[in-house]
Amino acid sequence: MRVNVDLRLKDVPGQLIKALEPISINEGNIVGVVHNHDLVTGGRISVNVTFEHKDQRSLEAIFSAWKERGVEVVKMGEIVRTYPAEYLMVGNLAHSTLRAITEGIEKMEGVETIDLQYSLSTSTANKSVLLLVSLRNKEKIKDIDDYLMTRSKRNDFLLVRGMGV
Amino acid sequence: MRLALVGFGTVGQGVAEAVAMKKDFVFDRFGTDLKIVAAFDSMTYAMDPKGLKPLELVSKKQSGKGLGKTRPKSVAEMLRELDYDVLVEMTPTNIENAEPGYTNIRTALECGHDVVTSNKGPLALKYRTLDDLSKKNGVELRFEATVGGATPIINLSRELLMAEKVESMKGILNGTCNFILSRMGEEGLPFEYVLKEAQEMGYAETDPSYDIDGIDSASKLAILANAIMGLDVTYHDVRRTGIRRITQEAVELATKEKKVIRLIGEVNGGGVEVSPRMVPMGHPLSISGTLNVLHMHTDLAGAITVTGRGAGRKETASAIMSDLVSLLKRNTCLSNGKVK
Repeated sequence: MRVNVDLRLKDVPGQLIKALEPISINEGNIVGVVHNHDLVTGGRISVNVTFEHKDQRSLEAIFSAWKERGVEVVKMGEIVRTYPAEYLMVGNLAHSTLRAITEGIEKMEGVETIDLQYSLSTSTANKSVLLLVSLRNKEKIKDIDDYLMTRSKRNDFLLVRGMGV
Repeated sequence: MRLALVGFGTVGQGVAEAVAMKKDFVFDRFGTDLKIVAAFDSMTYAMDPKGLKPLELVSKKQSGKGLGKTRPKSVAEMLRELDYDVLVEMTPTNIENAEPGYTNIRTALECGHDVVTSNKGPLALKYRTLDDLSKKNGVELRFEATVGGATPIINLSRELLMAEKVESMKGILNGTCNFILSRMGEEGLPFEYVLKEAQEMGYAETDPSYDIDGIDSASKLAILANAIMGLDVTYHDVRRTGIRRITQEAVELATKEKKVIRLIGEVNGGGVEVSPRMVPMGHPLSISGTLNVLHMHTDLAGAITVTGRGAGRKETASAIMSDLVSLLKRNTCLSNGKVK
């Protein structure tokens, strides 16, 4: 998960390193740092940091390290970054088949949203359906690829994948 | 350099014309001639150790009388007795058993002759055997014309990008499918209609399955996977889905998402695959018409894209000429003592 925090650091040398170190030590990945030199409140300057953390435990470890080091956390917000995966399905796609497919994808880890768009054709035998999935983890796109490839063989429909992320 | 041309259809005739057209260039640059000492079609042949006249061969063939005498035995048997330097093998691709191209190429390599070919079958089915045989006999097997027509894909990768490790490849390797899919997208026409149009324009055969079922693309992809990425695969290892089931409605749904559908060949860590894919408009692989394109990722140079005309008489002849000129260049270096 990606997190954005506003930190307040003492306006003395070496404080930024002190604030960023706990992120890398706890397997986090720093995405961006904005150092607001002009914004000084009570002798502290404001730094905005965006980072990705591995899991809840690593996030808690980062926060407790900041507490120990005297880094104040003023504001925190979670940014959910998603990755798109696109598929076109063409063939015998009955409503029940599509429902089974979407239910199968919903159960998969990291799936944020699923969107289905249908062609206007009334013929179930040769229906075209666009399936748009957004995922929190791009590595999981392969799981959906594999799942849909298996379904396309089982239900005899043509699967057209996107080009990946 | 004495050439034996085997296969004298569209490609063979194009090569004979190119040999005549580039006569002065070859002599000025290398101080020698490309001399056709034998030419074979499916039934007849012509031979002359002093050299046949290329344009006369084309006229004879076009008059419908064949190239000369009726062949008394197989081409391979005749090649064993023939005095020549380079076999130019241009018989039609046979993806079932690679014949007669495989036996012709094998015979030439075993007898210590260089080979230039446009025939995909032998390379898509027996790449390693032929590659090992050419190395064992100290001769060259060149096949630029098998993939991408005039687009210099193989020689670019194996020669100019020799120091690069190609990590993945994606490409459009069949102009017929690309013509059909781009016409469907741009004009909103149904598959069957555009296929008929492609047949009338000479882009697709009467039996279009070789193109639209992805057989041609899969053969080319197997060759590239072996030649450029050092894999050991055959046509049968390529996961293949054609474009036969693509509907006009599917194309319209993709268009709404600013995507086009293209038949893409891909080689990466996950395997070797040919299948229709949705490509973002403006992506290097979203090209239209009969063009071919290959997009490679290498360890040093990063992304490299090559595009060009993928098929046709002149285009294929151009690729064969580039291989013949490479052999002339090698021979010049050898005679100057630059290469050992």
